[in-house]
Amino acid sequence: MYGRLQTREIAALVAILAFGCLLPYAAPEYFVYLGNSLMMYAILALGLDLLLGWSGQFAFAHIAFFGVGIYGTAILQQRYGLPFLVSMPISAAAAGMLGWLIAWPSTRLRSVYLALATYAFAECAQWVFRTWDSVTKGSDGLRISPTAIFGYVINSDQRAFPVVAILLCLVVLSLQYLTKSKLGRHLCAIRDSEHVAAASGIDVRQVKITAFTLSAVYAGIAGGVYVLFQSFVNPDVLGASQLVLVLTMVVVGGSGSLIGVTLGVVVVGLLPEVLRLAPSTLLVWQEFVYGLILVLVVMFMPRGLWGVMNKWFAPKPAMALNASTKTDGDTVDAQEVGR
Amino acid sequence: MLFLLPQAIASGIVTGCVYALIALAIVIVFKSTDVVNFAGGELVMIGAYIGLLCIVYFGARYDVMVVVVLAAMILIGCLFQRITLEKITGRRFSASVDLVPLVVATIGFSYMLKGIVRIFPYTEEVRRLPPLVSGAPIFIGPVILQWQDVAILVATMLVMGLLTYFFQFSESGKALRATSQNPRAAALSGIPVARMRMLAWALASAISGLAGILLAPKLLMTPDMGGVVMLAFAAAIVGGFTSLPGAVVGGIVIGIVQNVIGVLMTPQAISVTPFFIIMVVLVLRPQGLFGDIIALKKV
Repeated sequence: MYGRLQTREIAALVAILAFGCLLPYAAPEYFVYLGNSLMMYAILALGLDLLLGWSGQFAFAHIAFFGVGIYGTAILQQRYGLPFLVSMPISAAAAGMLGWLIAWPSTRLRSVYLALATYAFAECAQWVFRTWDSVTKGSDGLRISPTAIFGYVINSDQRAFPVVAILLCLVVLSLQYLTKSKLGRHLCAIRDSEHVAAASGIDVRQVKITAFTLSAVYAGIAGGVYVLFQSFVNPDVLGASQLVLVLTMVVVGGSGSLIGVTLGVVVVGLLPEVLRLAPSTLLVWQEFVYGLILVLVVMFMPRGLWGVMNKWFAPKPAMALNASTKTDGDTVDAQEVGR
Repeated sequence: MLFLLPQAIASGIVTGCVYALIALAIVIVFKSTDVVNFAGGELVMIGAYIGLLCIVYFGARYDVMVVVVLAAMILIGCLFQRITLEKITGRRFSASVDLVPLVVATIGFSYMLKGIVRIFPYTEEVRRLPPLVSGAPIFIGPVILQWQDVAILVATMLVMGLLTYFFQFSESGKALRATSQNPRAAALSGIPVARMRMLAWALASAISGLAGILLAPKLLMTPDMGGVVMLAFAAAIVGGFTSLPGAVVGGIVIGIVQNVIGVLMTPQAISVTPFFIIMVVLVLRPQGLFGDIIALKKV
């Protein structure tokens, strides 16, 4: 652990918790549902960013582990009557195990090859979910029955909301510790240069495998969250478009930063809602506008929205370049090592 | 079942040729600009729709249509490279390739192309492009070939021949190869790198557009037909991802394997075949059949 949690990082956690306890009573049902799915996407995107932004591994298998989390939690609950607090960790662990298995061959690959291999794995997983009728009910979809935690029955979005908020808090807290830990530093070093990382005594392969596994666990947790507030799952949820959505959130917000990714989740997640307000004659442009926004963001905001905001608020212009690795003055900046 | 095998292999070779064309486009772009073109399938789709527009709306002749499609595709490819990708590659501050923004840009581009086609209500129905050549099918032993299949085979061989000539003998082709091997050294020896990258995109888009025209009469036309790009990715991976002959061989292999699996196993397995092949090849032999050994770029 290098450096303590800063006040604003703790404030973020408190804000999520307060938001989670108060919003369900103040907002209409639809907003609560939207909030739930945004928080689920936040867990998913933060987990993906652990690989993409922190360790520089361009891996696409995330959505498969999300599927393992969903189906694992739902099936353990329905077939074996396990409570959520048992079934969710088991599925997250299963997703982690699968991630670990995938990491062994994947860590031999780099850049494009890694991206294509993991993407292919995600597609294969979707195919398994679709064809394994006896377990997943195939493309007809699986109905998810309401669950309960210590007698607290979760049968509506309102009741699910605080639980989802608490889970998101735990995820954010763990990531805040993780990114400040030795492992987090190792990840940044590998992202900036594998050669230098290896020469500095970092076991590159082992660290990559750990990152893969952890990222899969987070995806599994996101799957558990899905089960909490949704009542139906179908393999179509686990397709490439979903993956692109999460990737967009990470890139638009600003990868390699917890706040940036969260910002991206909120902005990209609310984008369809905003576009829906447009007059219906313009509705056909929706897909085009979505693509245009993606292209413009990578063209003009290389560090995402958060990078732009940092540039505005930073006292020195030089800060903006290093926005992704905020470090304390007295410790070694991993990015500097990489150069 | 076995009596279907020769026909399956023959149609596999034909569809494989189309995959090979798309794979060639992807490999050319990757080799010369380090971009993995996830919009490759949408380029095929837009080529087919431009062809449809020419024939149905303007009533153009087929040869005029082919020329218009190729010109439009070259324009689209050049503009995308010049406006978007050049901007992203231009700010690279280290030796490492900034893969993520480039890939996200092509994904965004693919959504834009799909979105443009969806704007027209005309594309909501499934359309079909008339074949390039029609006539009574040809019987060769147990195999039946349509004239369109013959056209595809001929067109693929023509493209391969032209590409070989271009890369081996022409000056721009050699300059393009130099650019892909070492952009900095190429720039120092007076090769206009930015223009060479545009040339690569122009070539790739034109080949994709051609593949679109050839594929559209065989396949149902929808704005989602770009999904065919995964088969091309599989073909490129089998061929090693950096080798042009590899892409062609890979395309034909994928076409045959896909059809044979459809005949011998369940048709359900067809959709997952390319992904399975990508995974197996990358795990067991990452350099594919013809690719170079993948080396980590130095700091």
